[in-house]
Amino acid sequence: MIREQSEAIAGRLPPLQVRAERAAQTVWQGMHGRRRPGRGEAFWQFRHYESFDDSRRIDWRCSARGRDVYVRETEWEAAQSVWIWCDASPSMRYRSRRDVPEKIDRAGVLAVALAILLVEGGENVAPLGEGMPARGGRSGLNIFIETLLASSAKTSRPPLEPLPQYAQVVLISDFLESAETYRELIAEFATSGCGGHCLQVLDPSEESFPYGGRIQFEGTEEETPRLLRRAESLREIYQDRLAEHRATLKELTSTADWNFATHGTDSSPETALLPLFTTMTRSAI
Amino acid sequence: MLSIGSLAFLNAWLLSALLVVPALWLFLRVTPPAPRRVLFPAIRLLYRAKSAEEKPDTAPWWLLVMRLLLTVLVILALAHPVFNANDGTPGKGPVVIVIDDGWTTGRDWSRRTAVMQGLVNRAKRENRRLFLIRTTWTPQDPRPFDKPIGPSRAEGLINAMQPKPWPVRLVPLLEVMQVSGLPVSADVVWVSNGVDDPGELAMITYLRRLGSLTIVMEPKPDLRVLMSPKRIGRVIQVDVIRLAAGPEMSFAVRATTADGRVLARVEGQFSDGERRASIKVSLPIDLRNDLTRIEIEGESTAAAVKLLDDRFKHQPVGLVSETGFQGKQPLLDELYFIDRALAPFSEVTRGPLDALLQDDMAALILADVGIVPQTHRIKLLKWMEKGGVLVRFGGPSLAAAGLGTNHLGSEGLVPVRLRGGDRTLGGALSWARPLNIHSYNSDGPFAHMPSYGKVKVRRQVLAEPTIDLASKTWARLADGTPIVTAEQRGKGWLVLFHTTATPEWSDLALSGLFVDMLRRVVALSSGTFGAAREGTLLPFETLDGFGVLGEPPARARALSPGKVDPGVGPTRPPGYYGTELERLSINLEIDPGSLIEPLAAPSGVMVRSFANNVETDFQPVLFAAALFLFLTDMLATMLLRGQLTPTSSPTDTLIGGLVIGIVTLSLVVGTGTARAQLLEKEGDEFRLKASLETRLAYVITGNGAIDKASKSGLSSLSEVLTRRTAIEPADPVGLNLETDELAFFALIYWPITPDHPALSEKAARRVNAYMHNGGTVLFDTRDQFERGIPGGTSGLRRLRALSRDLDIPALAPVPPGHVLTKAFYLLKDFPGRFTGGLVWIHDLEEDHASEVTPVIIGRHDWVGAWARGQNGSFLYPVVPDGEAQREMAFRFGINLVMYALTGNYKADQVHVPEILERLGQ
Repeated sequence: MIREQSEAIAGRLPPLQVRAERAAQTVWQGMHGRRRPGRGEAFWQFRHYESFDDSRRIDWRCSARGRDVYVRETEWEAAQSVWIWCDASPSMRYRSRRDVPEKIDRAGVLAVALAILLVEGGENVAPLGEGMPARGGRSGLNIFIETLLASSAKTSRPPLEPLPQYAQVVLISDFLESAETYRELIAEFATSGCGGHCLQVLDPSEESFPYGGRIQFEGTEEETPRLLRRAESLREIYQDRLAEHRATLKELTSTADWNFATHGTDSSPETALLPLFTTMTRSAI
Repeated sequence: MLSIGSLAFLNAWLLSALLVVPALWLFLRVTPPAPRRVLFPAIRLLYRAKSAEEKPDTAPWWLLVMRLLLTVLVILALAHPVFNANDGTPGKGPVVIVIDDGWTTGRDWSRRTAVMQGLVNRAKRENRRLFLIRTTWTPQDPRPFDKPIGPSRAEGLINAMQPKPWPVRLVPLLEVMQVSGLPVSADVVWVSNGVDDPGELAMITYLRRLGSLTIVMEPKPDLRVLMSPKRIGRVIQVDVIRLAAGPEMSFAVRATTADGRVLARVEGQFSDGERRASIKVSLPIDLRNDLTRIEIEGESTAAAVKLLDDRFKHQPVGLVSETGFQGKQPLLDELYFIDRALAPFSEVTRGPLDALLQDDMAALILADVGIVPQTHRIKLLKWMEKGGVLVRFGGPSLAAAGLGTNHLGSEGLVPVRLRGGDRTLGGALSWARPLNIHSYNSDGPFAHMPSYGKVKVRRQVLAEPTIDLASKTWARLADGTPIVTAEQRGKGWLVLFHTTATPEWSDLALSGLFVDMLRRVVALSSGTFGAAREGTLLPFETLDGFGVLGEPPARARALSPGKVDPGVGPTRPPGYYGTELERLSINLEIDPGSLIEPLAAPSGVMVRSFANNVETDFQPVLFAAALFLFLTDMLATMLLRGQLTPTSSPTDTLIGGLVIGIVTLSLVVGTGTARAQLLEKEGDEFRLKASLETRLAYVITGNGAIDKASKSGLSSLSEVLTRRTAIEPADPVGLNLETDELAFFALIYWPITPDHPALSEKAARRVNAYMHNGGTVLFDTRDQFERGIPGGTSGLRRLRALSRDLDIPALAPVPPGHVLTKAFYLLKDFPGRFTGGLVWIHDLEEDHASEVTPVIIGRHDWVGAWARGQNGSFLYPVVPDGEAQREMAFRFGINLVMYALTGNYKADQVHVPEILERLGQ
């Protein structure tokens, strides 16, 4: 059982990771991180001791080599911790056409790509809802990816988890539950001081409602089926409602000072990743 | 079974299912097509939204109508409707089918079979037994009246049945039937010939007593019958009689030879309201003896064919050589020229007059006989009355005969009064000069005689000028005196040449004119009169009911003279009796007086025609229509459920459309499509084979040996080409000009045989297009050995006939230095199996570098030189030079293929000296 699962995961991992890396790479090219001295672990440079420096920061080993006194500077590390949640509910396992990926697929790619970018940028990442500390580095990334893929949570509602202050939360989902469900949760996170980003991933058919004729619509999460005689007549109503729903979501995220963005699976992942990453790094600085 | 008019339902009870249709209407109306099911995660957004149209859930009316129609069609198809099933056998008892299979039925036998088969099919369905009674039945045949037979056996009998080339015999048949065990209360169908045969009415009366009688016949058959041809002078008169006098109608009569060549085709016309039409066939004398058959075109009955035998063609000529009534006179000398002139065309017999008269000669020739004795004269006159032609020649004896009375009148057996003595033109003591034969009477047999140059007449017997002299004169001298006179006696003729049959008095006997005149005169006779033959004559070839010659049937008896002639019938089918060389023809003679009246059926008898009597089964059509509707319904449902909207991928739509299209097509076109596809596939195979590799090609002539030689010759040439040159052709291809595409081949070898079948218009067009588009055809008449025959060799003649429709350019012999002489080898001439003839190509007037010739015509039988047998040895000897010449033949082949494939580029070599010269400067 475990073995089967792990094989399935292993089978899925490389392409996901590769696609995520490719997407991350594209984004990274325009991003040059904070290459400047600051608080951090990694060595950045030696410089002459200045009067305002704390004497504890003198690097004695280096200073002993010559007459001057040197201070060892580390690279500035504003190690942000980012908790990423990826909706894995049945409604995400959907695609309307063969040439678009399933929503969950795209959401996974986006989550992992985002994690790669963040780790590259020196941040720590962790999947939300697993009770794990945020980790950085290559190993932290691997742990993140494995945990994300093995995640057994199939709810469409993000779990509430006590997070450290100033942590960032990224929620990737189709956000098709009623807006009220999310309002409470986001408020909770916001009060604990977390910033956040919501990315709504939708299938093109969910955007445009391209149906016509006599159709029985069936939900993915045991919703009551709905029979439409002339589906095309409902197209505008549906689109209005979708816009309304989005407006509500946008409104409730902005009250918590969160971001809300949408992404269609028919466009490339980079189009969603770039703005998301930009907003995140901007907000972090 | 339920019948509505001529439409019947075999499973009528199934029609009750139609009652369900209205219920189905209601049911279908409230049951719309099942919706399409779509998985949609954002379904929550659809709740509480009203669809704009709140129409009730009903299917659209046209879909309903289509489905109801579909149901109705299926029910109707299951009920098995059959059109024309009601064919005169409404009862339950046995079915009696009386079948006219006499000579009149050969013209539409297939329709008759179809009707009979329909009857049998129906009897099979109804499990009834049948009596099949042929009206040409004779007591020697098995009796069909005693026991009925099962339908499957009847089917077999009908398939094996053939029309007979003799008349039906109703009277003896009726006698037997009346005392036979035919059941009363039967359904009787008479598939009749539509002719009022003797005993017809009695038969109808009898059959009506058996049960319901239906007569199936063509109401007014346009049956035509050929009367025995008659020879009238040089033409053959043929009378054609039709069954019913009707409007004006044209027909054609063909005169053919034993091997089927048509010698003449003459069109005739029945005038409005006339039953008899008469036409005249005139044939050149030398062709007339080839004539063996006269027939009405398009009429396939035994009575539309007349076979001719030796009696018709032979015109024996008797030369009276031992007269016995004027003492011994050396006549042999005189008869010598006549004998020589007539022998090639007629059977010439010499003998005393009495013997010749007994032998029924067509013509008798008396050369310079003076006075014919009374007894002989009477005999000769009688013989002439019957159609004999007596030809007399002048001479000293005839001149002397009139000397006594100074003239010789009709009692002297001459056509005109003759003066005594003779007239000498020219000579030592005369001013007169010998005269030419100058003119011919345009009414006589010598009209349009070709000119034979100057024929001098030096002496003649002179006719007394009388009133009718001019009309009796067939030929005149330059001064107007008659040289040939004739008088009709009864059916025969008395002809006098006013000069001798020897060169003594004139040059006539030495000239071609003499031969021509004699032949024309002899042709006036109406042939021999019933030559007596001895011994029995076995049937050799007989006519069948369609008027086609074939093996005689087993029952045909030998013809033995002296016995009572049974007349044309089962034991004496019309046809040839005897051997191939000496045969007697027996024809089906229809007495024009008692002939054939169209049958007028008495009232109360049901009469049907063939046209609407063929049973038509509608079941397959209905099922096909239902299937089509079903598929349309599927398509419509898919449309309604939105499965064919742009959301579904275009390939799905395409596949759906294709499926419907293909099914519909296959329904409509049926097996035709399959055959066409098969053909197309075969065509593809041929095209691939022809185009993927270079191949030599030859025309299939249909003559096995020549086709084999062509194939093996070209294979052998291909081998040599592969060995010696860069051309490596694959196996050669045989081409059927009627069907195969020629465009793939650079060179087509076309052997011409004397019996090469004629080209259809399509084939000719194809060959023309091939030649225009740059192909090369090598015509090989293969007949160099026949050279020297006037009018061209047989192959050449055939080629001329064949190429009438081909666009062959002006031709010239291959000029020296032509590319053909140096495409690979340097050649002076182009030998094949034979050599010495010219090879002809398109005459381009010295400009041979600009174009490849579309035709090459030769007669050397090249493939014959190339062809190898299975063991690799050459098939045919090469003359006169043997193997050396064969090598040259191969070299020609290589040059030829090089020329055809590379065109004229070698012609550039022409300029090499100039180029070299220029370079040198």
